[in-house]
Amino acid sequence: MSLRVGVVGAGGFGRAIALASARHGHDVVVWSRQDRDLPEPIRASTDIEVIRDCELIFMAVPARHAVTVAEELGEVVDGRHSMVHVSRGLVGADLKTITQVIRDKTVCRRLGALAGPLVVDALAEGRPSGSILGTGFPELTQMVRETLGGAGLRVYETRDVIGVELASATVGFLTVVLAYAQEIGLDPSTLAVVATRGMVEVSRIGQTLGAKESTFMGLAGLGDLIAAVAGDDRPEFRLGRALARGAKLSNAVGEVGTYVEGIDVARHLIEHARRLGLETPISSTFAAVTEGRMSQEDAIQALMERHVGKE
Amino acid sequence: MLKRFLSERPLRLPHIKPYVPRPSDPSIFWFNSERDDIVSEVVNRICTAHESDRTRLEIALNDAAFHEIRRLEKQRDEEARDRLGYWRSMIRRIGKMDDSEQRHVLHTIVTDMTRDVSGNFDPRVYRFARRAVPRLIGGVMEPRRLMAAAPEPLERVLKVEGDVEHLRRLQSEGSLVFVPTHSSNLDSIVLSQALEISGLAPTIYGAGKNLFTNPIISFFMHNLGAYRVDRRIRVSLYKDILKLYSQVMIERGYHSLFFPGGTRSRSGMIERRLKLGLLGSAVEAFTTNQVRRVDRPVWFVPTTINYALVLEAETLIKDWLMEEGQARYIIEDDEFSRIDRWFTFFRKMVGMRGACIIRFGDPIDPFGNRLGPGGQSLTPTGRAIDPGGYVEQRGKPVVDSVRDAAYTRELGEVLGQRYEQDTVLMSTQVVAHVLFRDLVQSTPGMDLFARLRLRGEIGLDREALCQELGEARDRLVALEAKGRVRTSEVVKEDAPAELLERALNFWSGYHDSTAATLEGNRVVLGDPALLLYYQNRLVSFAEDIASPDQLPAACEIEKLGVHR
Repeated sequence: MSLRVGVVGAGGFGRAIALASARHGHDVVVWSRQDRDLPEPIRASTDIEVIRDCELIFMAVPARHAVTVAEELGEVVDGRHSMVHVSRGLVGADLKTITQVIRDKTVCRRLGALAGPLVVDALAEGRPSGSILGTGFPELTQMVRETLGGAGLRVYETRDVIGVELASATVGFLTVVLAYAQEIGLDPSTLAVVATRGMVEVSRIGQTLGAKESTFMGLAGLGDLIAAVAGDDRPEFRLGRALARGAKLSNAVGEVGTYVEGIDVARHLIEHARRLGLETPISSTFAAVTEGRMSQEDAIQALMERHVGKE
Repeated sequence: MLKRFLSERPLRLPHIKPYVPRPSDPSIFWFNSERDDIVSEVVNRICTAHESDRTRLEIALNDAAFHEIRRLEKQRDEEARDRLGYWRSMIRRIGKMDDSEQRHVLHTIVTDMTRDVSGNFDPRVYRFARRAVPRLIGGVMEPRRLMAAAPEPLERVLKVEGDVEHLRRLQSEGSLVFVPTHSSNLDSIVLSQALEISGLAPTIYGAGKNLFTNPIISFFMHNLGAYRVDRRIRVSLYKDILKLYSQVMIERGYHSLFFPGGTRSRSGMIERRLKLGLLGSAVEAFTTNQVRRVDRPVWFVPTTINYALVLEAETLIKDWLMEEGQARYIIEDDEFSRIDRWFTFFRKMVGMRGACIIRFGDPIDPFGNRLGPGGQSLTPTGRAIDPGGYVEQRGKPVVDSVRDAAYTRELGEVLGQRYEQDTVLMSTQVVAHVLFRDLVQSTPGMDLFARLRLRGEIGLDREALCQELGEARDRLVALEAKGRVRTSEVVKEDAPAELLERALNFWSGYHDSTAATLEGNRVVLGDPALLLYYQNRLVSFAEDIASPDQLPAACEIEKLGVHR
């Protein structure tokens, strides 16, 4: 059955979602602030009113724009709408997730977060790929499968919405760390330890915010990290390499040419963990190195000398 | 024997001169005439849901027999003698029964259980209680007033806050579901008085069957709309009945009250993890009415009950500390069952301004949206929306229990946040927090239980303490301005020294141990467990009200609440 699909944001993800939905025969409209040229039959508009008639809305905007976009959506959505976001960030120092922002700014309640090893090109072209949808509403999963799923995309489901959002946001930061470690020539086994223990570290923090550990170890966390390391050319990876080559953070961000949400997320997570007395050896050490408070050698030594416990 | 008689057959007044309800009376006044109809609706819905599937029916019967046998074997009382034989013989026969026999047995079990749950409402008892309870409590507090025609002192102790006028308007338009925080067994009594003072209609509510063993309380509970919840019964059919009974009552427009925390907060913290069963029944009541095109909205009223002194504080915190709150679900031997403690408690409360504050928060729809004056659901910017849209699929309202369970979880989250925002922090809680924070600060690295053993060992300079108290209070008032929490009038108005004295007076002579005492110029910490209990109300705000040097202690305190 054809659905009226609205896509909010016409960046890489927004376009890919619109193309995939249209390919499945749905009636798709894309809203963005600037005029966009999109292939037929996709309609494009700069008037938020076009979203009012949609049944399923995909919000594909960076986390730093989530609040203002959600406020605009708040004027047109109501209880009939279902909304899924694909942002990989968190908002503010209190680590607010995007679904929390949408809940605060709109009356839409049938919400979900789509994450995992989603790759823009694969999604747009319908190449085999997988993802995870965090939602409490099975009917929403059904809609997303009808819209994006099929031969191109496997959409797994979990009720741990906050877990999906936190895992997805922290993968960005871990990608920076791994790219850095790879660039300075650490062995694959060391990279594996950093990836696994890094994930444990962020999952420990996530659990204090209500997330489940298993979500971090699934598609939203480790699955996505593997895709990043396998080389889907994420900006986080380029940022990590630039830092390893000695660039200052601000210069490295300039070199990458796009905003990397993982850095802000990491800063807020470390602060949150500090307040709760949680240990964050990998994140804190990496922060110390990139801020020039510690040399690479001292950082590796400090991490290797730590007490080794049970997994 | 008497205990069982009272809990099985609570006393009712004879039907000599029954009250005939008037059209202006609240819906609960018609309850007795509708009761049989309600019971059969519950029985029919439960039976219909099971009868079409033999496997489901057999599982339900086996589950009922298994859990009842287990319970009765443990109880070894008169009820066990009467009923064990029935269940044992039934569990042996279930597999051999044909369909109609199984359905008959199910019908019998469900009817018996539903009748046992269903309450009674006698307008005569209600009118008597309206007059007598305040006088009785007043009399306990000031015996010389018992016989006098003087106004009851209850209103001096009990203060009601919130937009009561809005609730009065809404109560004639839809079903109001009051969902309060839960600290004490006195909560239902205090809340029913708050409704009465505010001109709000009485509600139905679930009360633990253990409360029915006290003959006086049993009489009032039973005749004032309480339905009985026997927490010892683990049968899954029984849980379905409780939820459905609540749902049907709300569908029919009865105002309702239940505690989403499920049980009294053992730690004293504001509840965050709520039990969703009854909450879900109210959400499903809304959906069912929508599907049936019955225009009867369901609204929730987040309510906080705030005591400066909690009747059962010592038992509750002990229980939390023993098993982090999981030790005993039903406590039957606490201060609530000791009449001497009631006397001391009420006497203590009466002399103190603002000793108990009930705050009715702004009502919300089942999806957490605030309401306009006429009950319209509003967006954050004030646009009116149709709440019926939430239960529509492709333009049609449909029943979908999985979807409604998701809405219920979200509602639980909203209530948790609203409890924090609507909690009114009392003098004892603020003072306890500052004292406990000092205890943590002066014992770095020590674990919680070691700290709790430091009875009478830590003394603090009174003047320095007052200074800290003033600063903490100022920060709390600033948080209140941001809508994060509320503080009582005395917390806002008292000078720090008065605030300290007020809290010490509240504690002195009521609990078996003393939380803190003044010795010369020093305040000596008596029982840190009691301080912990009272200060736990502030765990979410610890960091916000600490100065930089108090921050490590505040963070440690805040950690107590992480897995709340």
